Amino acid sequence: MTVSSQNASALAPVFVRLKLSLIKNGLRQSGGRQAAYITSAVLALLFAALQLLGLIALRGSEHAGTVTLLLVALMALGWTVMPLFFPSGDETLDPTRLVMLPLRPQPLVGALLAASLVGIGPLFTLCLILGSAIAVAHGAGAVVVAVLAVPLALLVCIALSRAVAAANTRLLTSRKGRDLAVLSGLVIAVGFQFVNFGAQRLGESGGLSALDPVADVVRWLPPASAIGAVGSAGEGSYGQAVLQLLISAVTLGLLLYAWQRSLVKLMTTPDGSTLAASEASRKESGGKGLTSLLPEGRTGTVMLRTLRYAWRDPKTKAAWITSLAIGLIVPALNALQGHGSVYFACFATGMLGMQMYNQFGQDTSAFWMVLLSISSTRDAYLELRARAFALLLVTLPYTLLVTAVTAGMLGDWTKLPEVIGLALALLGAMLATGSVASATLAYSIPQDSRKNVAPGQGGIAFLSILGGMVVSAILCAPMIALAIWLHVSGNHGSLWLLLPLGAAYGALIAWAGLKVAAPRTANRLPEILTAVSTG
Amino acid sequence: MPDQAFEKTADTAGGARTAPPAVRVQGLWKRFGEQIAVAGIDLELPAGKFIGLVGPNGAGKTTTLSMVTGLLRPDQGRVEVGGHDVWRDPVAVKSRIGVLPEGLRLFERLSGRELLGYSGRLRGLPGAEVDKRAAQLLDVLDLAGAQHKLVVDYSTGMRKKIGLAAALLHNPEVLFLDEPFEGVDPVSAQTIRGVLERYTASGATVVFSSHVMELVESLCDWVAVMAAGRIRAQGTLAEVRGDATSLQNAFLELVGANGRSAGDSLDWLGGGAR
Repeated sequence: MTVSSQNASALAPVFVRLKLSLIKNGLRQSGGRQAAYITSAVLALLFAALQLLGLIALRGSEHAGTVTLLLVALMALGWTVMPLFFPSGDETLDPTRLVMLPLRPQPLVGALLAASLVGIGPLFTLCLILGSAIAVAHGAGAVVVAVLAVPLALLVCIALSRAVAAANTRLLTSRKGRDLAVLSGLVIAVGFQFVNFGAQRLGESGGLSALDPVADVVRWLPPASAIGAVGSAGEGSYGQAVLQLLISAVTLGLLLYAWQRSLVKLMTTPDGSTLAASEASRKESGGKGLTSLLPEGRTGTVMLRTLRYAWRDPKTKAAWITSLAIGLIVPALNALQGHGSVYFACFATGMLGMQMYNQFGQDTSAFWMVLLSISSTRDAYLELRARAFALLLVTLPYTLLVTAVTAGMLGDWTKLPEVIGLALALLGAMLATGSVASATLAYSIPQDSRKNVAPGQGGIAFLSILGGMVVSAILCAPMIALAIWLHVSGNHGSLWLLLPLGAAYGALIAWAGLKVAAPRTANRLPEILTAVSTG
Repeated sequence: MPDQAFEKTADTAGGARTAPPAVRVQGLWKRFGEQIAVAGIDLELPAGKFIGLVGPNGAGKTTTLSMVTGLLRPDQGRVEVGGHDVWRDPVAVKSRIGVLPEGLRLFERLSGRELLGYSGRLRGLPGAEVDKRAAQLLDVLDLAGAQHKLVVDYSTGMRKKIGLAAALLHNPEVLFLDEPFEGVDPVSAQTIRGVLERYTASGATVVFSSHVMELVESLCDWVAVMAAGRIRAQGTLAEVRGDATSLQNAFLELVGANGRSAGDSLDWLGGGAR
């Protein structure tokens, strides 16, 4: 080991070998992991190769500049947010493991940067950047610039990721960081909806020229500015090319400096994960105002706890935000694309109604506190009703909002009353089936993983949610039939009747569902506790 | 035997105590698949005492306490708390007991104070009374400084203390604590002890499980020894200890672990390098 020589050029090979050994040993641990790694590696490389070919094929196209700039910018964005969502992705990324070694910061940063270049991710990125450079490099000058620009852009991506990770190590190893990681799946899911929509819009508007104004800004932002420099050199504007290269180079320097500073701070101060937790003395939470508005007794107490959990518990919060976001995105996007209907607004109600399912699983094994306080069917009824009320507090206004937004976007206000009526009937049916399913088909939600069902309980979860939705649809059938009949028979003047009828019908079914669920809950308390405690 | 004992107390009705036992367990069984966790135990725990349920890991202590407190349904048997059947008369039982289970979560995304407020109101106490009691409990248990912190950020000792506070809030007659001192630092342990001693002095009953004999010996006046799902002995500390020098030795004798010394098999161990 030449570690003591304090020389970056000597240290770098040591770290690169360390990284390779870590990858190799990680693979040796299990066959499944090996298979997964090889599969993902092959797929990533295949994709990278195709992308490389595609980008080269793009050469000469009038939109080549725009596409390459945006691709590189997106890639850089990916590298920036990745450490926040996958904090434990790379062990060499954890500088706290190197604290006991006699290393100076500067050589260490160099060596860590070199080690970071090893892996599928960097190789994939290299393919993309190389392809982009080839696509836009016209002329000898551009090729010279590209030789500098490609490694520069790659290094900026990696340094960006490392600097963000080092700056946030404290956060990422704390409880808050783990909470954030649970929420990450949600960001990806919602983000995917937008990307999907954006791609559709692009396809419809018939061209990439819509993106040109964005590219004009991005060409000055590192590391895309390095690729922009290749394009500028190809067009003969060498001054602009040098400036763009310089922007990326200076950024790389700043990032490395920031990374080094975070490293020094991390390695010379005690681990703050416990300190940070204890100093955070929360002030009296905003629940005070809400407490005075909620009714006394079990109803208000349970509602307040449910609402606090919707906000503070990462799993519950993720479920709520997904429902709220998807519930709005689906009807709104369909309306935007012009082939929607106001009836799509019921989607939001359905998504939020699903929160009523597996109520006690959401409590985790803390359900024992509820168990000890329920000694009669009446208690169980009040408990379930309070949870339904908490749900209604959000769902009712949201249903009205989504329906109004969808109707407004489609300019179809006449359908508003009937859709709200049907949504309320659906909501009542979901609350009813949800409370019965909570009592009879409870399952655990593991708290420390991204999974939403404990191993072995997938069948119960499937039966609970799918069965519940089918039964909800059947329960709503009378209202749906009435709506169809009014439409078919031409009684459009009476369609508003669906609003009061739907509201009354929904309330009636919800009440009946709670009445059916309450004795089942009260009689099965120990069984429910066992079912929700396995995760 | 139990009947006789009961008649005796009934006969001396004019005497000091006529109260029924705090907990009476008859023929309690629990099986998990092939494994028998609790194999037909009978227990009679006197009221107003500090009672220790001791046994090695896996003896069935947690399973027994879970069944006694209504958290787990027994396969067979009867449990009465203060003369009320746990499974037939939950209204009477649940208001009379306080429980601190082991290995189950609390509502950790509430602050310590919010957790007590939730727990007390759920049990039907008026809001103002809950807040008053919560403030006092947090003070006595040395949690006042952390009352607005989320329970998820609490240490093991703090969790045990906030769990104890939640179990005491409605002033139960019988308190069941599963391993209340497990993983607790000495300072917190002393605080918990102080609160529990004050509580039993007022005539209430504490039943707690532990595998630390010294602790049980110093705290309890009544002991039940469990091993492999059965009760091996029960009675006052002096009765269970018998002729043995300590509860530890009496316990080892009861579960048949005495005399299992290493013998000659490790004769190379220690005594200089060889």
